[in-house]
Amino acid sequence: MTDTHLPVERLSVILGEVKEVKVTQRATRRTRVDVAADALPALLELLKGRAGFVHLSAISCVDWPDDGEFELVYHLWSYELNLLVSAHTRIARDPGVYVSVYDIYHPAGFFERDIHEMYGVYFEGAPDMQKFILTEWDGPPPMRKEFDSEAWVNDHFDWQNYRPEWLIELEQQGGGVVIPPDEQRFSRRDRKGSGDES
Amino acid sequence: MRAENYEARRHPPSHEFEINFGPNHPGIEGNYALKVTVHGDQIVAARADGGYLHRGFEKLMEQRLWIQNIALVPRICVPDPAPMEVAYSMAVEQLCGLDVPARAQWLRVLQLELSRLAAHLFTFGGHAATTGMYSPMFWGVADRDQLLDLFEELTGGRVYSIYNIPGGVRRDIPAGFLERLSSTLDYLDSRLPDYDNLLFTNQVFVKRAKETGAITQAQALEWGVTGPNLRATGLGFDVRRDDPYLVYDELDFDIPTEQPGDAWARTLVRRSELQQSVRILRQVIDRLPGIEGPIRAPIPNPLAWKVPAGEAFVRIESSKGELSWYVVSDGGEKPYRVHIRGPSSMHAVQVLEHLVTGCRLEDVAQIMFSLDACPPEVDR
Repeated sequence: MTDTHLPVERLSVILGEVKEVKVTQRATRRTRVDVAADALPALLELLKGRAGFVHLSAISCVDWPDDGEFELVYHLWSYELNLLVSAHTRIARDPGVYVSVYDIYHPAGFFERDIHEMYGVYFEGAPDMQKFILTEWDGPPPMRKEFDSEAWVNDHFDWQNYRPEWLIELEQQGGGVVIPPDEQRFSRRDRKGSGDES
Repeated sequence: MRAENYEARRHPPSHEFEINFGPNHPGIEGNYALKVTVHGDQIVAARADGGYLHRGFEKLMEQRLWIQNIALVPRICVPDPAPMEVAYSMAVEQLCGLDVPARAQWLRVLQLELSRLAAHLFTFGGHAATTGMYSPMFWGVADRDQLLDLFEELTGGRVYSIYNIPGGVRRDIPAGFLERLSSTLDYLDSRLPDYDNLLFTNQVFVKRAKETGAITQAQALEWGVTGPNLRATGLGFDVRRDDPYLVYDELDFDIPTEQPGDAWARTLVRRSELQQSVRILRQVIDRLPGIEGPIRAPIPNPLAWKVPAGEAFVRIESSKGELSWYVVSDGGEKPYRVHIRGPSSMHAVQVLEHLVTGCRLEDVAQIMFSLDACPPEVDR
């Protein structure tokens, strides 16, 4: 059934059937495939049906704001060929909509849900796009590059001046590590009159 | 969406109740919740609810230097932290094209297998406790402590070792360490008959675990299940053998499998893996003294380390299954993107929801522990 001697060649025959696909051999068992967004589901169907790539290891999303794109990487493993194919595709950052591959790979349900809440990419046809990890979060998708966690903290939370009695006593005796609030890593540097009011 | 995947929205009838199983519940592993709908004590619907342990590792890592992240990554999975740091180090090495010295690779295998032993002992204890037997839990934790002593001696840290850095490991084994490791392994071997009597052949446990939470091989493949849970359905796949990393291709070990795919089979697979890990460690003890050389490759000034642009995909067999890391660098001082695929993100969410539905309320905890679900690596 499987030509175990030439798994890579068998793979390349299958990949040759998809239009405009760029194949890069990265290591013995690692192949990178760059494919257009509209051809990716067909590629996955082919890989799963014809080459035994039944295992979707992960879907990774990479944000490239300078290009205005999200890169989606589908890592597929074949238990027959013992090969890993990473299928890379790029979708427009705005509106950030793509199709779900849940019908081909059930594990995609988890990863698409994750990418939806972390990057705001909507997957059409996914069984469940509800929040899972960030249940009570109503801010912007936090994994996007423009989301600055430090700025968010400064804008949304009050800083407490942590000077308990025992620390003041210690400092009066010349001990303790005194870091003025403005020199702390998460400082209120962009606030006027940052202060010691707690 | 295809018709077979469509599920009409259910409206619960009056005889069904929704129960929050977790996040603070003795029968749940870690901080995690299952919202189950029960009819009597039978579960008719279940919904996993995560996020209680979300610490935003992937975002945090984008804001820290490559070397700083080493201290961060073991915290992703509390019971089995070693694979995280090894996987991250391997990803950075792949990006830089660093060659890891042989001795460092053997030391990593030593750390990984010790961590697998510790994680499995922990799981046995937890699993036994869900069937009302608390002695194996105390035993498991106490015997795990012996391994933590070894970790402390080797790395300085009992739970989070922070032993690896890109390029190798931080320190060599102390004098007499291999002898102590050997005697600890002997001790674990001598304990196994006790565990057999108390747990693995104990009818109280066996009758509860058999036919509970069974999955077929086809289902396991369809749902992306890996690790011991997949091997319990009869498919002998192990990343260590089929996609080898470090020096696993030089080691001699078996991939234990079982057929039934239920909680019982999963426990048996872990029990056999315990023996295989001991076997691997014995080989390490034999061969490590003969492997001379440095324990790490030279790396540039870590505080101003710019890792070349590129991408790396690393897979490791952790105690829970296939752990994969996708790391992207844009040539900067910090990672551009890190994606961590914990093995539990499969079997703790969709598979767990699927398995729990239709079972009885008292089996929920057992199913979760038998799958060895690790919520911190789901939430990350």
